[in-house]
Amino acid sequence: MTSLTTTPPERAGADPRPELAIHEGRVLLTGSRCGDCGYPQAINPPRCPICGSHAIATATFGPKGTVFSSTVLRIPVPDRTPPFTLAYVDVDEGPRILAHVDGPDEALVPGSEVVLSGWSEHGDPVVRRSGP
Amino acid sequence: MTGAGTAIWGVGTSAFGKQTSLGGPRLAWQATVEALDDAGLQASDIEAVYAGTVFGDPGTVTRCLQQIGIVEVPVITIENACASGTSAFHEARESVEMGRYERVLAFGIETMTAHFDGAISPIASDPDGAQGYAMPSIYGMSATRYKYEFGVTDEQMAEVAVKNRRHAMGNPRAQHHKTVTVEQVLGSRMVADPITLFQCCSIADAAAAAVIGPLGGSQDPRGEVVIRSSALRSGRLWDHTTDKVWGWDIVADTAARAYDDAGVSVGDIDVFEVHDAFTIGEIITTEALGLCELGEGGRLVESGHTSLGGLQPVNPSGGLLSRGHPLGATGLAQIAEIVWQLRDMAADRQVPGARLGAVETMGGGTAGIDGNACVVTVLEQVG
Ligand SMILES: [Zn+2]
Repeated sequence: MTSLTTTPPERAGADPRPELAIHEGRVLLTGSRCGDCGYPQAINPPRCPICGSHAIATATFGPKGTVFSSTVLRIPVPDRTPPFTLAYVDVDEGPRILAHVDGPDEALVPGSEVVLSGWSEHGDPVVRRSGP
Repeated sequence: MTGAGTAIWGVGTSAFGKQTSLGGPRLAWQATVEALDDAGLQASDIEAVYAGTVFGDPGTVTRCLQQIGIVEVPVITIENACASGTSAFHEARESVEMGRYERVLAFGIETMTAHFDGAISPIASDPDGAQGYAMPSIYGMSATRYKYEFGVTDEQMAEVAVKNRRHAMGNPRAQHHKTVTVEQVLGSRMVADPITLFQCCSIADAAAAAVIGPLGGSQDPRGEVVIRSSALRSGRLWDHTTDKVWGWDIVADTAARAYDDAGVSVGDIDVFEVHDAFTIGEIITTEALGLCELGEGGRLVESGHTSLGGLQPVNPSGGLLSRGHPLGATGLAQIAEIVWQLRDMAADRQVPGARLGAVETMGGGTAGIDGNACVVTVLEQVG
């Protein structure tokens, strides 16, 4: 079971996880969009991997998204207590990210609508089911 | 010899299993000495080594090979996740093909039980791994998606494990020598919904090796197996633009290149060894290799087409689900199996009359890309 907090965690400098931030009460994904081809990413690299453009601008995405797929991991992994639910989420107009799911230990059906909701106790991005 | 073709002169493997007490060098010696003997060579004949290992300590490969006399040569270690062993094979073949060397050892080793009790730990520097994303989760997600999109059933996924464990009854080097039923597979502990324990490969300690040289150049050319082609690539970006599950396109893209270079089509190939780290992985891979259409992989295994006795057996060795998966050794064990099949040496698991075989290995663990590496190679009986 994934816990949920809306207090932004301290991020270590090299934390590779997708970065969420709260803007006007909404939880959004921070990333970048290519100024030439529009390709969105959850990171902010110096070149666009699609078109090679240098015009990469910081962007925010969300808070809504759609589940590509989901699972419940039930084996122990370091620093976390199983079971916990994971999903690949296509953030609206944005990139696909991995996130933890707040709710019962049950895989979400692909196509489910979710909303970026905050962070787990370990600082992982968390989504919650929003639609049917 | 450039342009005349490249062949496998000899292969060897250790047994596969949890054998921590043997340590790397002893496993390596078993595999390498068997491969050298099979090729009719001495250790001092080897001109270069390409090796695959993932979790091995620094210096693992030289530590394993020095005391049997493989010294004073270039030793190149490659890390390419689950495809490390076949990546070493690919580079070894490439080096002979280009005329750089004439007697090359492709070698793979992993001593998993020295590093892990169970599943491989997530990679903390990876965007997904840092979230506690162990490897079974990606396959659990692929299985969830396949159930939703194509109606693949739990029973069809379980059938992959049932088939491969049945095949392994003929493979004395496999880790698991016990058949399982669909009910047992589905009744085993849930690991990553909907993937159960018996649908996951075990960890293992093992080594495997192949000696590669110019076609027709060994002492006994009739024992050679021709490398018709070998393709290696990393995946495309795996992002919001694709509805394909992770790992589908990289296998399809790599296979297309390998078939094209060999001048064959999938229907020509008699026997396959593929990357069945998880049951859904074999279903996806058989589709991507072209054995059936997208979404038909569940029905393919159910039909018996890929069983021993079927038209195109997949994983006659029992696959990773039966051998276990010592990452660096896996690809070269797949190569060894196809070599034995093409030489008609596979005894109780022999595919009768097999002349053309293919090996596919795919490795991942990096977020945002459709696989770190995939190798597909097409091998053919001489004569
Ligand atoms: Zn661009």
